[in-house]
Amino acid sequence: MSAAEIRKQIGGSWEERGDGWWLSLPPEQIRAAAGIMLAGGARFAALVASPGSQGEFGLSWHWDLKGTLLSITATLAAGRPAPSIVDIYVGADWAERETRDYYAITFEGREATPTLMLRAEDAPGMMLPPAEAGRP
Amino acid sequence: MSYRIPIGPYHLALEEPYKIELDCQGERVVGATLKVGFNFRGIEWLAERKNITKAIALMERVCGICSNVHSMTFCMALEQIGAVEVPPRAQYVRVVVAELERLHSHLLWAGIAAELIGFQTLFMQIFRLRECVMDALESVSGNRVNYSMNRIGGVNRDIDHPEAVRQAVRQVQDTMSRTLIPLFTTDQTVAARCRGVGKFSLAEAIAYGAVGPVARASGLDTDMRRDQAYLAYNALDFDVPTRTEGDVLARIVVRALEMLESCRIIVQALERIPPGPLHAGDIYTVPPGEAVARIEGPRGEVFYYVRSDGSDTPTRVKVRTPSFANIPTVTAMVRGCDLADVPLIQAALDPCYSCTDR
Repeated sequence: MSAAEIRKQIGGSWEERGDGWWLSLPPEQIRAAAGIMLAGGARFAALVASPGSQGEFGLSWHWDLKGTLLSITATLAAGRPAPSIVDIYVGADWAERETRDYYAITFEGREATPTLMLRAEDAPGMMLPPAEAGRP
Repeated sequence: MSYRIPIGPYHLALEEPYKIELDCQGERVVGATLKVGFNFRGIEWLAERKNITKAIALMERVCGICSNVHSMTFCMALEQIGAVEVPPRAQYVRVVVAELERLHSHLLWAGIAAELIGFQTLFMQIFRLRECVMDALESVSGNRVNYSMNRIGGVNRDIDHPEAVRQAVRQVQDTMSRTLIPLFTTDQTVAARCRGVGKFSLAEAIAYGAVGPVARASGLDTDMRRDQAYLAYNALDFDVPTRTEGDVLARIVVRALEMLESCRIIVQALERIPPGPLHAGDIYTVPPGEAVARIEGPRGEVFYYVRSDGSDTPTRVKVRTPSFANIPTVTAMVRGCDLADVPLIQAALDPCYSCTDR
């Protein structure tokens, strides 16, 4: 499948930018989009979380197909879990675990999200401001 | 009889911390779990608290081998946000340094692989050759680890001694094509240790998100230098070696052939480097915005996401290193292998735990 065909199958208003193609979706549509990416032969590249000003998070999942970047963003309301795509892309496992380490975001649809960079006994959310992470 | 062998955090092959727990039945590995994070430094957290000039120096500390690609990719993300045009000469200088870095990284890896195979003489030969490349890097930058070449909008230094670079490239080209590649591809000891070991299919490469030589050795034909043609790469002729066997031998062959391609690129870049400025002036801030920059590092795609609010400090910096993508693939590669092959399979990834942990 070509990048254009993948974009067409996923639908929505894709925006072409200097670094690739970007699309905004509701979080509940991410898994379906990931399934189309895999069927199209796209390689999972990265998951990026960015904290917003009201406790929400901007999440972006990035795929590569023959050098074309396909990025899908979703806004996660404060305290809401993100959809896990580990059962679709096993390579997303570390990315989701690291996101939990950094921002205490939980992932729905996987049995457990163990720590990756932190030790097992550490509280997640090391990139959050101390008050939000429950640290002194 | 089933049993679990915990190995690490002291690594089997490299002096970096990492833990693997192997589930075995007799001598056969049936599963593996990994633990990383022993080297965690919180570089993303630090980068979001430093001005971008200081963050460039910080990014060179992500990795002690491919230090240049990290500062370069970070600068490229900022250049994209700020629509900063990098002068052509600076683009060629970046290409030369990036390819020299690939040579020394691949040679380091090849030396370690040779030692693991039990080929001490080859290890010494390769490290002697690597020294020539390190000398060339020193002639360009004055440094052997952190080169401090990159700045937003260009480079800090010119290539003042191109002949020193050419000489190193000639040595690598001669030794690789006359001695090392025939050895790696035809020697019976190498083949016996590496052929059919650590198999990793194309479908697995896609699902795991493998990058670089690991992906290309499994038939995933991907290379950012060709596919995205950043810097001056679209003006240079080179091939992207791939293999479909997906074993340790294929990973060795891909890297060996890549070294010859890097030599070709450097020779062309030095011939065609245009005159002109080295940078676009002093830039300490970029406008608000976000960008992803990706380049082909020695170990594969380096992914940077940077967001700016217009101040001199980035609001978000995400670093996804090639080893972060490649190391989990070891769980698939060791499944069903002999216990004795695990060190070689791990080393064949060319893993960097400093990069992974950041």
